[in-house]
Amino acid sequence: MKDQIIFENVSKFYGEVLGVNRISLAIPSGVTALVGPNGSGKTTLLNLMTGLVQPSSGHISVLGLSPGSATEFFSNVGYCTQFDSFPRGITGWQFIFDSLMLHGMSKAEAARLTRESLERVQLGDAANRRIAGYSKGMRQKTRLAQAIAHHPRVLVLDEPLNGLDPMARAESIALFEELGRQGMHLLISSHILDEVDRISDRVVLITGGYLIAEGNIHQVRQEVREKPMQVFIRCDHPEVLASKMFAINHCVEARLHADGGGLLLRTGDIDQFYSALNAIAAEGLVKIEAVAPADDDANAIYQYLIGPDGSAL
Amino acid sequence: MSVYKHNYRGYDGKLTPGWARIFVLTRYGYAEAWSSKITVGIFILGLLPCIVFLFAIYLANNPMARLLLGNHAPRILAINAGFFLDLLQVQAGPALVLAAWLAPRLITFDLADDALPILLSHPISRFGYVFGKWVALSASLSLVTWIPALVLFAYQGYSSPQPWAAANLPIAVGLIAGALIWIAFLSLLGLALSSWVKWRVVATGVIFAAILVPAGVGGVMGAVLRTKWGLLLNVPFMMSVLWQRLLGVPGFASSEASLPTAGISAMLMLACLLCVAMLYARIRAREVVRG
Repeated sequence: MKDQIIFENVSKFYGEVLGVNRISLAIPSGVTALVGPNGSGKTTLLNLMTGLVQPSSGHISVLGLSPGSATEFFSNVGYCTQFDSFPRGITGWQFIFDSLMLHGMSKAEAARLTRESLERVQLGDAANRRIAGYSKGMRQKTRLAQAIAHHPRVLVLDEPLNGLDPMARAESIALFEELGRQGMHLLISSHILDEVDRISDRVVLITGGYLIAEGNIHQVRQEVREKPMQVFIRCDHPEVLASKMFAINHCVEARLHADGGGLLLRTGDIDQFYSALNAIAAEGLVKIEAVAPADDDANAIYQYLIGPDGSAL
Repeated sequence: MSVYKHNYRGYDGKLTPGWARIFVLTRYGYAEAWSSKITVGIFILGLLPCIVFLFAIYLANNPMARLLLGNHAPRILAINAGFFLDLLQVQAGPALVLAAWLAPRLITFDLADDALPILLSHPISRFGYVFGKWVALSASLSLVTWIPALVLFAYQGYSSPQPWAAANLPIAVGLIAGALIWIAFLSLLGLALSSWVKWRVVATGVIFAAILVPAGVGGVMGAVLRTKWGLLLNVPFMMSVLWQRLLGVPGFASSEASLPTAGISAMLMLACLLCVAMLYARIRAREVVRG
């Protein structure tokens, strides 16, 4: 598949230490979040994908390319590492420019693309200052600019929101969303689950080197059947709705909202639940204003599948 | 539901050839190496012996000086293979000092700054990275070895009243070959040792130690075991023997202490292979990282 990132039964061992084990994935274009606790194998997975480490077994293909064909592969992949390290004494401009020269651009082209990428991350004004004098957020932006400067088709970002202030975070998220919409493959490793929800609609959950779940967040949530789904319903008679819903077997919990204008329901079968809700609404006893899933997000999936201590449940 | 146009396109412009990218690293390595005033200082001090040799060539070709020295002139002011062997041996010292100073600057900084993951996520292989640095170091060492030696050779050829240069062309070839072997070995050794030591100053010390300590051990071994083979650990001695043979200087080493060229070549090759293995083990984008 030349338009996907494919992991086929990939394992990586560092001696006797397990990095990742038997990972099989197919990542389409758009934004995909890689989520897992510290030490779960996220960075190993990203390093495998970018060819920085070789798999102990299995095969990886990025848009039909393998790291063996370095020129073509790295022309198509941009990697923003989480390590806060730069050659000493270098300016932001030089860092990006040198990187583009290593990618094989001519001087004129490298200068044009350097300007473009620095402006894209709002770092144009500080381009000629030494990176050593940059704030943590500016350094993060510099790494991001370096990763996108050569117009890769795949962008791999390891904790790209670390150290950014709220404004810079919003700008970065907007940039990721824009690139994802345009058809770029973005794989973002993050532990800020609220932002994962905003950035992406696909997740890859990993812990202890094992793949726990992958796919569209809502679909993954629906697959977790042993955890009843929570749905928040805003309506005019929540107590009536609760009594009606309790008559249905798969509804396991109902909680009135503090303002008295809503109801939080937990159900074991979301499809039947929505059918029943439609029926109740059609009866006209309750006027339903809004219905929204309350635990259909990356945070809930993480809690249900991995748990607060990082071990898969 | 929104429908978005997938109009993102990767870069499809012209790219420079792969070998040219290696020389980008060379250029930056070279700039990094020569950005220090200490490097310039070592370079200037390293050229001072050349000025002495230059003056000797001037005197050797000056009729007044030859007249003043009388009968001793042909012996003292002989510009021959032995003269250039002395030059090569003297210049080997500044080359070692420069290598010990520069090699850590080229590699240790990258390792200490954790820059390898960033560098190697470009279309540059580990070989390309090391080769780029090696060329930068070799080019720097050339400035105190075969380049000034060739300038002196050319000056002698220009100053001599006889057609000297053409008759002594093998000396020039020996000079270049001898210096290049020393440079290649020193560069590889310097980079290999620097890749294993994160502190630059310690790396400099380790490079000196790697040349001098085995020579001492080899000397002790030779004295205790009454064998000449201990000299195979003495790199300066081996290089001197090699240069003597390359320049065609007779009777440099006594027959007891003389080493076969094949033995010297094998030992240097072995050392180089060890350096390559050290670099291969150390120059990696990642060590054990989980996260």
